[in-house]
Amino acid sequence: MASIELRGVSKAYAGGALAVRDVNLEIADGEFMIFLGPSGCGKSTTLRMIAGLETITSGDLIIDGKRVNDVDPAERDIAIVFQNYALYPHMTVRDNMGFGLKLRGVPKAEIARRIDGIAEMLGVTVLLDRRPAHLSGGQRQRVALGRALVREPRAFLLDEPLSNLDAKLRAVMRTELIKLHRRLGTTMIHVTHDQVEAMTMGQRICIMRDGEVVQVGAPLDVYRDPADTFVASFLATPPMNLLPGRIEAAGDDLVAVAGGVSVRIPAQFRADYLGYAGKPVILGLRPEDLHETEQRAGAAACPIRTRIETVEALGPETVLTLSVTGGQELAARLSAARIYVMGSDLTLYYDAAKLHLFDPATTKRIPRLSAAN
Amino acid sequence: MTAITAIERHDRRFGWLLTTPGLLLLVAVIAFPVGWALFTSLFDYTLLAPGYENFVGGANYALAVGDGEFLHAAKVTFFFVVAVVVIEFAVGFLVALMLNDTERGKNIYYLILLCPLLMNPVVVGLIWRMFLHPTLGIVNYLLGRIGISPVNWLGDATMAFWTVVFVDIWHQISFMIVLLLAGLSALPKEPYEAARVDGASALQSFWHITLPLMRPVIVVTLLIRVIFAIKTYDIIYIMTRGGPGIATDLVSYFIYRRAFVSLDLGEACAMAGVLLVAVLAITAYLHRSMRAL
Repeated sequence: MASIELRGVSKAYAGGALAVRDVNLEIADGEFMIFLGPSGCGKSTTLRMIAGLETITSGDLIIDGKRVNDVDPAERDIAIVFQNYALYPHMTVRDNMGFGLKLRGVPKAEIARRIDGIAEMLGVTVLLDRRPAHLSGGQRQRVALGRALVREPRAFLLDEPLSNLDAKLRAVMRTELIKLHRRLGTTMIHVTHDQVEAMTMGQRICIMRDGEVVQVGAPLDVYRDPADTFVASFLATPPMNLLPGRIEAAGDDLVAVAGGVSVRIPAQFRADYLGYAGKPVILGLRPEDLHETEQRAGAAACPIRTRIETVEALGPETVLTLSVTGGQELAARLSAARIYVMGSDLTLYYDAAKLHLFDPATTKRIPRLSAAN
Repeated sequence: MTAITAIERHDRRFGWLLTTPGLLLLVAVIAFPVGWALFTSLFDYTLLAPGYENFVGGANYALAVGDGEFLHAAKVTFFFVVAVVVIEFAVGFLVALMLNDTERGKNIYYLILLCPLLMNPVVVGLIWRMFLHPTLGIVNYLLGRIGISPVNWLGDATMAFWTVVFVDIWHQISFMIVLLLAGLSALPKEPYEAARVDGASALQSFWHITLPLMRPVIVVTLLIRVIFAIKTYDIIYIMTRGGPGIATDLVSYFIYRRAFVSLDLGEACAMAGVLLVAVLAITAYLHRSMRAL
């Protein structure tokens, strides 16, 4: 059990390229934290610095109140599960799982007891005498997890452990990891570029881009309140529609206009955006905030006239790509109840209370003073 | 068995067409001489009176196995092979491990390492015979400059054996290094990281991960070196002619002498046959232990 804190942690590679820049983050004891970001954003490097596999160029890494920058990975008492599992190819599953304990001089009987217990829990008991080459991807993944579990470390670091599994197995392992965390209560950091994993598994998400932390928060908070256009376009599929436009004053009202899309800003937020009147903004419309009827869109419903370009009927829901006069494209996520025909016209209603506005110069969200969303 | 189709028959014919020239060449330069030598070993065939009139059956083999000089040569060869291969392996592995961790100047080290290997063994023998000449050689001259009395490198029985061992190591060690280095650089990186987190020291990583993962490469490397070391002939011919006395009388050189100095070709062929069987046995043993991995 451990709390992990990063204070101004940076990583520079030979040649000066910064892989990780000034990361400040506190992970509470027992927390399930997700590092989310596209490839090359520095999330794995950050994880490897915590494990001790990469040196920290500047800043402090603090585990349980102690600075561990210069502590050998062996002594950090942290286990890591690698993306490609990194099993020892010449050892049986049993030896793979027991290797760390053997090195630490744990008595043989105790090693056997712990391996048997964990193997039982992960359902790999029948595999104990096999070598990694004779295991499937999912089985290797379990063994790698088991190898981390038998050590009973202070924290688990998971470096995209599900990315090599097929979709079905990934969903199963996702649930198992969540259950496992609930049962053990050990601090876990899970690195992923999969936003579904991020939304479903963690208690908090830390979104990274170009080596920097963009936003940290509970999954739903980050989803509801993305800090900038990057976060907005990264979470959820299809991602938020981002339309460059401007805010115009129409009498007492403010209207956000982007080509054929014009959204009347509800009265309660008018004061927040008054300063942007006449200025360019980026409109952010979540596909799930577009509705087929005015009633569903609520009090602040704004009609948008569109033409259906493509229809993706997913079963429980249907995703449409729509074109709006002015050339923009919109994605909408609608119930599967209706049949949509490509090329036909469709008027949708947008819940203007859900509108996100971003500053095009900084790509950051324009803050609202009023708390309601 | 199902009948082969016309396409398969055509493919087979084409396959034979492609392999025939190579096969003929192999038969001409390997199978034929080996067969001829084994045939000759069954006769009392000397170069003084060449001819296949006197069939003696296994008598030449009995003679060879009971020949004290042949057994001595076999013993010297055994010690030579063990010394050369063990030292080359130990030093070679160490250098390969060091080079594997080297980032800069790797190509330059490679080039330097490969130089001895590119040299003809006769040239190597001549170079070192000159270097080690008791009175005119540069080695003794340099030793003299720092006050060490000259060493009779090739004239003293024990010293000559180790000198030959040293020169062979100098010549062949880069082969060992290059092969082991190729094996090391092909090892996966991930298990080492897992081991670091599992708490393994560098030495433990080497013992528990590098060595077991390298085993197939090590076996092949040792196998090749053992076979080549048994056949060592050229540097003996150039440097010591088996001497002083018979201190460096390796078995290949001994067989050569029996054939072309004593002119007893039948017996020499029988000895070559015995050597062939020994090498085949070692190869089979190592091959089997490699397959068991």
